[in-house]
Amino acid sequence: RYVRQLQRLQFLFSPTAADARGARQFVEEAAQDFARQHPDVVLYVSPRSGTAPLVRAEYLNGTVREELIASKTSEEIVQLITKLANQSGLDIIRIRKPFHTDNPSVQGQWHPLTNKPSILTVQGPRLQPQ
Amino acid sequence: MVVLSAARWLRSRLTDRFWRVQEVLKYARHFRGRKNRCYKLAVRSVRRAFVRSTKARREKKRFLRALWITRIEAASLEHGLKYPAFISNLAKSQVELNRKVLADLAIYEPKTFKSLAALAQRRRQEGFLAALGDGKEPEGIFSRIVHHH
Repeated sequence: RYVRQLQRLQFLFSPTAADARGARQFVEEAAQDFARQHPDVVLYVSPRSGTAPLVRAEYLNGTVREELIASKTSEEIVQLITKLANQSGLDIIRIRKPFHTDNPSVQGQWHPLTNKPSILTVQGPRLQPQ
Repeated sequence: MVVLSAARWLRSRLTDRFWRVQEVLKYARHFRGRKNRCYKLAVRSVRRAFVRSTKARREKKRFLRALWITRIEAASLEHGLKYPAFISNLAKSQVELNRKVLADLAIYEPKTFKSLAALAQRRRQEGFLAALGDGKEPEGIFSRIVHHH
């Protein structure tokens, strides 16, 4: 069953700043629809004056991602948060290898004595000359 | 009234020069010398670094293939086979493993690699017998090709 990795979205904007107009429109119009469509994400709206409006996304693995929403229209903000809702919290860097195992070797990893005769490794009681 | 140009006391000043410079310097932080600090030198070095990294993506494939071949050669010599004999006989036995997988097997599954080397050796002997010998099929033949339809 699919578990959405986005835990909560915090909208921080001021009620009077000019660049927060899109954020205010979003909160008035589209926030409820978004919340209804994504029931497992919690939306928090809090006022914060004097700083740029931003949306903070927190994921289940602890990563917090902040995006500026200054001078964005309501539709752009909806697109942005749907993108954030479909992401997981893994950090966005180049993946070195598309595979990973905790047990890479089943038969025992090669070491310089694997294919040598066991007379070199076995330490038993002193071998009697036959 | 219609104003065609701004008044003289209004100036357009560049206020985010710091961040524009940091965008370039952040890719130069691990360089050696003044090019990790000074913007003018860093711009040139960062551009060359990016160009080299794009070109190196084609070289990386060649380099890794050579690395795998070296490893497979070393592993097959431990079992008494040379690399061309190993690869050609494995291909003739319809074992379509690529060099990456063979190198990983040689490192992490040495017994599997030993059995592959034995298979190649057996196919080699059968090839010699078929070429030089009398035409009798040996028991447990490995050189018959399997056709999938």
